[in-house]
Amino acid sequence: MQYILEAKRLCKQYQDKLALKDLNLQIRPGEIFCLLGQNGAGKSTTINLFLGFLKPTSGAAYIKGLEVASNLTKVKEYLAYIPENVMLYPNLTGLENLSLFSSLAGFEYSKDELMRYLLQAGLPAEAASRRVGGYSKGMRQKVGVAIAVAKHAQVLLLDEPTSGLDPKASNEFSELLLGLSASGTAIFMATHDIFRSKEVGTRVGIMREGELVDVLSAAELNANELEKLYLNYMHV
Amino acid sequence: MIRTIAKKEFISTLRDRRFVSLSLIVLLLLLSATIVGLHSYQNLQEEREVAQHTVNEQFANSADRHPHRMAHYGSYAFRPKSSLSFLDFGLDSYTGASVYMEAHRQNSANFSQAQQSTSLIRFGEMTVAFVLQMLLPLLIIFLCFGAFTQEKENGTLKLLLSQGVSLRQLAWAKVSGYSKVVALVVAPALALASLLIFGRGAFALDGDLLLRLLLFILFYGLYFFVFVVLSVVVSALHQRSSTALVSLLGIWILFCILIPKASANLGANLYTTPTRAQLDADVHAEVVKGIDGHNSQDERAEALKQELLKKYGASSLDQLPVNFDGIWMAVGEEQSSKVYQKHFNRLMGIFQKQNRISEWAALLNPYLAVRHLSMGMAGSDFGHYVDFQQKAETYRYHLAQELNHIQATQLRYGDKETRLSSATWGAFEPFEYDTPHASWALANHMISFLGLLLWGIGICIGGMRLIDNTKIV
Amino acid sequence: MKKFRILIKYEWLNFRADRGLLILSLLTLMAGLYGIYYGNTEIVRQRENIADLAQLTEHNIDELKQKYPGEVEAGDIGYYHSTFAVNHPDSWAGLSLGQRDVNPYYIRLRLLNLQSQLYDTENINPLKVLSGNFDLAFVLVYLFPLFIIGLSFNLLSVEKEQGTLPLLLSQPIGLPLIVAAKLVFRIMLVLGLALLLSLIAMLWAGVVPDVRIALWLGVVVLYCLFWFGLAFGVAAMQQNSAFNAVTLLGLWLLLTVVIPALLNVYVAVKQPVPQALALTIEQREEVHAGWDKPKQETMERFYARYPQWRDTTEIEGRFAWRWYYAFHHLGDVAVEDLARQYQGGLLARHELVDRLNVMSVPVNVQGIFNALAGTDLPAHLAFMQSASHYHDSLREFYYPYLFKQVAFTHADYEKEPRHSFSSGPDLDTAFSGIVKVLLSVIFVYVLGVLFLSLKETVVK
Repeated sequence: MQYILEAKRLCKQYQDKLALKDLNLQIRPGEIFCLLGQNGAGKSTTINLFLGFLKPTSGAAYIKGLEVASNLTKVKEYLAYIPENVMLYPNLTGLENLSLFSSLAGFEYSKDELMRYLLQAGLPAEAASRRVGGYSKGMRQKVGVAIAVAKHAQVLLLDEPTSGLDPKASNEFSELLLGLSASGTAIFMATHDIFRSKEVGTRVGIMREGELVDVLSAAELNANELEKLYLNYMHV
Repeated sequence: MIRTIAKKEFISTLRDRRFVSLSLIVLLLLLSATIVGLHSYQNLQEEREVAQHTVNEQFANSADRHPHRMAHYGSYAFRPKSSLSFLDFGLDSYTGASVYMEAHRQNSANFSQAQQSTSLIRFGEMTVAFVLQMLLPLLIIFLCFGAFTQEKENGTLKLLLSQGVSLRQLAWAKVSGYSKVVALVVAPALALASLLIFGRGAFALDGDLLLRLLLFILFYGLYFFVFVVLSVVVSALHQRSSTALVSLLGIWILFCILIPKASANLGANLYTTPTRAQLDADVHAEVVKGIDGHNSQDERAEALKQELLKKYGASSLDQLPVNFDGIWMAVGEEQSSKVYQKHFNRLMGIFQKQNRISEWAALLNPYLAVRHLSMGMAGSDFGHYVDFQQKAETYRYHLAQELNHIQATQLRYGDKETRLSSATWGAFEPFEYDTPHASWALANHMISFLGLLLWGIGICIGGMRLIDNTKIV
Repeated sequence: MKKFRILIKYEWLNFRADRGLLILSLLTLMAGLYGIYYGNTEIVRQRENIADLAQLTEHNIDELKQKYPGEVEAGDIGYYHSTFAVNHPDSWAGLSLGQRDVNPYYIRLRLLNLQSQLYDTENINPLKVLSGNFDLAFVLVYLFPLFIIGLSFNLLSVEKEQGTLPLLLSQPIGLPLIVAAKLVFRIMLVLGLALLLSLIAMLWAGVVPDVRIALWLGVVVLYCLFWFGLAFGVAAMQQNSAFNAVTLLGLWLLLTVVIPALLNVYVAVKQPVPQALALTIEQREEVHAGWDKPKQETMERFYARYPQWRDTTEIEGRFAWRWYYAFHHLGDVAVEDLARQYQGGLLARHELVDRLNVMSVPVNVQGIFNALAGTDLPAHLAFMQSASHYHDSLREFYYPYLFKQVAFTHADYEKEPRHSFSSGPDLDTAFSGIVKVLLSVIFVYVLGVLFLSLKETVVK
């Protein structure tokens, strides 16, 4: 199977609103696909459909050729997810949270290995054994990254992962994504950050009112052109 | 400004469908408890009135009898339900309804409702007081738990404060808005209760009853106020609605379920109640030392005999101008009553010590405070029960002594045959029980009254001080 | 299965780190221990009091021996001598005190008429009995549901509210597994505590080991499962924590407070027992009328029941003990029907409650506990029956002395019958109750699974 992530005529209708309209999309291993769009354009809906958190109204989402809606548990072995705001068990330490999620994914790491993942994600060593209740948003986000990396998933689903990160952390995050992509992980990322999209993305999709209106190859444009194009779509 | 916010709370609460339906359930329970209470009250009252009337008639129309036979025939005192007890059964279901009053012997009050029930009754009874004491605080908690946390979660708290409202003003506005809502739920039921009391002419309109009802309403008003302020304060101290709610429910369980039971149990555990058998034996032992109405060999009976013989200059009891039988029984009754009173008072003292724990706990727990006050006003508390027993005992004593007096003055010594005519018994006043005055009832519960008052004042001062320190961000 | 174990392990870590839950568990444990202590001291006190009664009887006999140094008419003894009918608590009584604090556990009896003595009450503090007993049964029936609610009201909603659900569900595990693991962890915790407390209570009370141990533990398990079923059903509706807490507490209130109170009203209306006051008035009237009726007429009525004494000497003079006791007994006979109706009415009440308790599992379970411990109304009625029989045997003991006019000597005191009765369990009620609890448990779980499958999981 060539495509790791695929959507065929994917639709999601809420009671009074069509959130996603006929999405067709194919993503290969190693690709970084950035999805741009305003709030409410349908970016998160798309990610939730790939995660199986939402049931499609019609059409289907596939991961590694498996239809998500009918393989809810199986597909999650292949994907990792970092939400916009990573929330963890506040009474457990960062280390314990990582250990929990990793072992649920089937990976039993030693304490040293877990520590390495956390450090690699940029979490200060002293914080790892403190309770998450006292973490800042950025620190939780780093634990979320560690959870995703430690899962060695073939697909990474990201819902505005850099919102609220400081420039340095954001930059480190981009480096990390490029590294993962180089090792063959497909990355699907919803974001508002046009410049970073241009920087890391192999392809950029623009979404408006539930419709994927354009897909551009990152090589075709520079960042300023991309912004102009994006704003054009938004003002129509 | 306060008025604007209060009005907003009032209106938005009334638009909350979930709250309105809960309130309707509570109101419905309140109304049905009023009707059920009145029904049960009327049944018991009628049963006891009929029984009292029957025994009074039986006594007045007794056959020709020897007076001491009549003293043993005795009478019954049936405890009338106090007028407001249909609002709060209090201890009534656990206290005896009838006392048999005979010569030489003080009997227990028998046939309580609880003895005629399965353990079902121990789950509690559906009365107006129950709904007001237990369920309304829950409704209040449900109404107020989000008072501050919701504003925090929505971010509207910062907006409100930036408009120049102080935390205290906001708190008072909420308290006044919620209080109006609570009043809206309770008022119809209390109006119905008042209407049933006075409108239907079920009871005579008298000042004492009115005072009791007013105090009853006043105490509950204060109780609800305490809960409203408490809920608002707890809400202010939390960041999330769910944790505020859980804390408040925890407080409710502690106040309304755990402390009342634990304090009553602890009291009974600390101060041992003597058994009735032991008490009777103790009274008997002490009486035997003195004069027993049936025991002429007693030394003190002998002394009395000598004293009388000397006084009247007679050589034998036959020659006395008075009947020695009657006199010695009167003296015996006096002595045994005195001894019994001593032991009875000691027993009641033990009960009061046991109950004292609950009373002091009322300082910490507004539920206990209002429970005591409510029972007191309804006339179904411990004090009223003891008062009834005392009045029955007084009646018993006077009945026995009057009959002894008749024997001493109208019959000759050693005469066991003469029967006095039925008309003699008709002249006796039947037993009648009057509920003591409201101020007496209130005086029995000064600690609880103080407790409720302290809660009212304390929560206003201390609670508002806590609100000043609430975390806004 | 491995993932299940991992989830359980992290439930434990989460629980261990949550101060609120630890305090709640500790409080429940302490309440349970206090309940065991309280129930036990109460029963120990009753046992001591019962033991003291024998001494009171001895005192009474000593006093009479002093008063009547030689032979005496048995009638005098019958009048002044009192003994006790006693209701010994079952070894289980301390676990569930039931109505043992409201109903007297001994009755002082003289040879006089029974009905005027049978209903005398013990010294009880009404405020204390109104507040009820803080025994183990109370802890299990009332407080354990609250403990279960406290542990489970945010079973699923907490994951949504703290935002961990998306991350959790992005792992290869299904929602049912997560819910099951959470439930199983809590069930193990609660059952562990409930069974531990029950076993401590049984050891402390030194219960007779019989089938009741299995029944008690079985009921405890089923009852806890019932509440977990409700918590599961509410969690399956997937609302927020506040809604769950209010709903569960509402259910608790409905089942342990509102429905029982309404049932109580219904039972009182449906099955009134108004004969009590009539009974007490009537028997007095009968007994005292005895003085005024012709002696021969009284004796004829008595002999009709006890022909064996017909040929004894005729009553002469103003007073004879055998005549006195004859009309006292006739007083009992006159109200026999009323007394039977009264006790029958009470039993009918119990049976009515037994039928209606399907409407509230807590009422049913409390009933089972009381039935196992022999502390409910039927046990008391059995004691009253036994006390009546004892009074009969007392009369039969004294009749030969009275009618054959045999003098009563000091040696005769020892020949007088003594009474002893022990409340026993009512296993039939317990069994039928357990079946009903089992059905309720199945019902709530089916309902919960139905809810969970009907409702689409909303992650956010």
